[in-house]
Amino acid sequence: MIKITNLEKFYRTEEVETIALNKLSMEVNTGEFVAIMGPSGCGKSTLLNILGMLDDPDNGSYVFNGVEIAHFNERKRADLRKHNIGFVFQSFNLIDELTVFENVELPLIYTGVSSADRVKRVEEVLDKMQIMHRRNHYPQQLSGGQQQRVAIARAVVNKPKLILADEPTGNLDSSNGNDVMELLTDLNEQGTTIIMVTHSEHDARYSHRIIRLLDGQTVMENIMV
Amino acid sequence: MYKNYLKTAWRNILGNKFYASINVAGLTVGLVVGLFMLLWVQDELSYDKFNSKADNIYKIGIVGGTGISKQIFNNIIAPVATFAKREVPEVQDAVRIMTLGNAPFRYKDKVFYEDDFAFTDASYFTLFDFNLIKGDKRHPFPDNSSIVITEDMADKYFGKEDPIGKVVTLGQDEQLKVTGVIPNYPANSSFKYRILMPLARFNDLAYIKNKKSYDNKTFISSMDADWSMFGFQTYLLLKPGTTVNTTALEKKLQAIHERNKPEDAPVPYLTQPLLKMHLYKADGTDGGISTVRTFGIVALMILVIACINYVNLSTARSMLRAKEVSMRKIIGANKFQLFMQFMAETTLLFVIAAIFAFALMFVLLPYYNQFSGKQIALSLSSYNIWACILVTLIGTLAASSIYPALLLSSFEPLKALKGRVTIGIGNAAFRRILVVLQFAVSIVLIIGTLIIGKQLKYIRDKNLGYDKGNVLSFSMRDEMIPHYDVIKNELQKNPAVLGITRAGRDIVTGGSSTGDTDWDGKPANSNMWFNQIYADKDLLSFFKMKIIDGAGFTGAVADSAHFLINETAVKEMGLKNPIGKRLRVQTVNGTIIGVVKDFHFASIHKQIEPAVFQYNPNNCWKVYLKTTGRDAQSAIASAQAMWKQYNGDIPFNFTFLDESYKKQYTDDQRTGSLFNMFSGIAIIISCLGLFGLATYSAQVKTREIGIRKVLGASVSRIIGLLAAEFMVLIIIAIVIAIPVGWYAMSAWLRDFAYKINITWVVFLLAGGGATFIALATISIQSVKAAIANPVKSLKNGE
Repeated sequence: MIKITNLEKFYRTEEVETIALNKLSMEVNTGEFVAIMGPSGCGKSTLLNILGMLDDPDNGSYVFNGVEIAHFNERKRADLRKHNIGFVFQSFNLIDELTVFENVELPLIYTGVSSADRVKRVEEVLDKMQIMHRRNHYPQQLSGGQQQRVAIARAVVNKPKLILADEPTGNLDSSNGNDVMELLTDLNEQGTTIIMVTHSEHDARYSHRIIRLLDGQTVMENIMV
Repeated sequence: MYKNYLKTAWRNILGNKFYASINVAGLTVGLVVGLFMLLWVQDELSYDKFNSKADNIYKIGIVGGTGISKQIFNNIIAPVATFAKREVPEVQDAVRIMTLGNAPFRYKDKVFYEDDFAFTDASYFTLFDFNLIKGDKRHPFPDNSSIVITEDMADKYFGKEDPIGKVVTLGQDEQLKVTGVIPNYPANSSFKYRILMPLARFNDLAYIKNKKSYDNKTFISSMDADWSMFGFQTYLLLKPGTTVNTTALEKKLQAIHERNKPEDAPVPYLTQPLLKMHLYKADGTDGGISTVRTFGIVALMILVIACINYVNLSTARSMLRAKEVSMRKIIGANKFQLFMQFMAETTLLFVIAAIFAFALMFVLLPYYNQFSGKQIALSLSSYNIWACILVTLIGTLAASSIYPALLLSSFEPLKALKGRVTIGIGNAAFRRILVVLQFAVSIVLIIGTLIIGKQLKYIRDKNLGYDKGNVLSFSMRDEMIPHYDVIKNELQKNPAVLGITRAGRDIVTGGSSTGDTDWDGKPANSNMWFNQIYADKDLLSFFKMKIIDGAGFTGAVADSAHFLINETAVKEMGLKNPIGKRLRVQTVNGTIIGVVKDFHFASIHKQIEPAVFQYNPNNCWKVYLKTTGRDAQSAIASAQAMWKQYNGDIPFNFTFLDESYKKQYTDDQRTGSLFNMFSGIAIIISCLGLFGLATYSAQVKTREIGIRKVLGASVSRIIGLLAAEFMVLIIIAIVIAIPVGWYAMSAWLRDFAYKINITWVVFLLAGGGATFIALATISIQSVKAAIANPVKSLKNGE
């Protein structure tokens, strides 16, 4: 599904140039659950952002589903993104002014799904995430675990092929964290490819494969059995 | 999707009530004031447009006099219209209007003084769109005793009865029959004559029956043969389709005049389009249009200030929405969808403001109409008004929504999500420019207010060169004039009457002039005009006017051939020793016996013109009566009793000179109070915005303030830090506003011949005032931020 080759990304300030990704190459197959690990500043988040088409690489190739997208402009990336990728963030990033239902509904609105279909699909996914009873609450009224369920619901409502999770349990206690990991595992078992950035060895154990980064390069790959 | 936009927008407003109320309040006030002013401008620009032939109607004027005595006569001689119709091919029709001050009209037991009556040609009803709704349209005036009245006059005199055929009495015994009714005039009509009589009647009374003579030798058979009486407003309707060459037309009219009265040559004619009559002077120079322009500009500025508030607050606070925008983008929103979302938000806020604005406008409309002297109605049928309102709303909405929407929708999601939104310097600079602009406008308006206020005070306090205090005046009617001495004696018996005199003219507002003069040493090319003042012997002492050379009138028979002239006349005539010099004014050949110190006998918008006093008690119809503030009522009662004796139940009309003096400056006073209001509103709206920005600034700097306090900064230092950011802007605004204000107000003052000097004190006051108000506004927030507990603010700031 994903193949990146010699990917480079630099961050420049007036005086310093930092290399975030240094000729990084890797592949992720459809249906895989991959964890990316490494110390702060190793380039994990940069990689995830490029994979998620939120950022573009300075050099190298990024093939998504057989299409080279490294040179895509923002509009094309955005279009590809909204139909194929769901995001889960450490800090949930729900929109405070919208209810649980409306937050989950939002991606469907932007992809032009009809109102009746939206209700059906949102209810379906809220049910699956077991937060149906909170559908009319606002994010501030929910616990961290509940908020992350909503965020996951929002990430999957468009049935993306790929979910990118950036420290999904970082703001959660261990019990809520485990719940979220179970949810991701379920999704993966139903066929969604998952790439997750994490600091937690415990969470990484849910994945099939761990890619360890240091200074923008792959230093090790562990295959989980 | 739009439902979602509106839902988010509505919740955003609810969630940020403080900023939303600042925005709504600023926009509401801005819209109310801006709209009211634009409606005023629109109304001023619409004058006389309702006349379907307006484009082909021209008003005719004459330029008289040279040098300082040069003036434009809006009232011209009667024959021009008749000759023009006969001899000038492009003239299709003409109408003349002649007014004679006020007169009492009586029907049964109802007696009213009417100012709005005039003699006119029958073409008045067809040339203008003043068609008869009752009576014979083809013959509005079947004979010389016919009158045509407006609907409201018909109501006033006859109530529900049919006005046609009713007979009213003008003055003592002139019987007039109502033969037609015209609709009430639209508020934007320059013509407001509510009782119209045939001009033929005036001709009959003044010429045919009266055997009017001009030089005591030749009798003038009719008004169409009188080339000397400048008393007729004249309008020409040109044939439609002809390309109008006004210069050629003016030349033709001039030729007609000079052919019939060669001694007037050169007598340049002026034509003025009807549609320009309301706002321009007869020679085409700016009249009311300058006020219209000023108000238009001020209205736009106030709307701009209100928009700036919105733009500034929403862009400043956009950082706080960066996360939301980013998430929407990540989830799949494109730029256009986000743009539309923010447009929807602004629109919603705007609709709320517009609703409040309309409600306020409806409530304030009566006061506004009273204040502005307009009769604007916010009725659904007035298409123009709603068009004006709609255009203003859309313009303001566009001005305040597009930039913030573009800015917000262009966030880069990744950076925004991490809180690294770099709307940074460029955007902040833009906001600063807008704040500077707001305050510069406000300060210019404050400068305007101060200068107008000073000029109005100058007018009030100006030494006019005569004493008008506690002087009441009234016009004598026919029966009274020959009995003036008896009346005077009788009135003087009342101790409340300190003095009494008479003149042939209104001392405060002016009167007629003549160019028919000659004197020893008059230059051949001089066409100097004199203001003519017929005086009784005690007129000068009554008004405490000073004779600076020679002597005044004594009342001796010889005085009828004596003249007093004013200083300006001496100067303009080029006389070194005027006393004893020969002077002829019209038919009176005589001698100059004295020079009167210049005094203001007309509006101080105008230079003092040459004036000549003639001893001519028989033509002095205006009585002046001096009293004291305390005894005024008693003096009025005595005068009224005398009046009744000669005029029966005709109402007694009088004015105090102080009042009629003030009345001349009604427009200036109105401009003054409007400016007071505008600058107040502008500064309020600007401060609302500043308050919002200061609040926001204190909010985002909470952490910085906390760190500084932990490091030992004092409260006053922190206030200084927060205030300094804005004070710099206010100072730049002052620097910009001073030259602009100076320039604008110098232009306004140019319209006054006598005026104040603009001093630095005005700028100091305006700048200082704005600084003080701004500082006070900022301080509220700064102090709050500075005294907050740093531990708390550091925690919150994380």
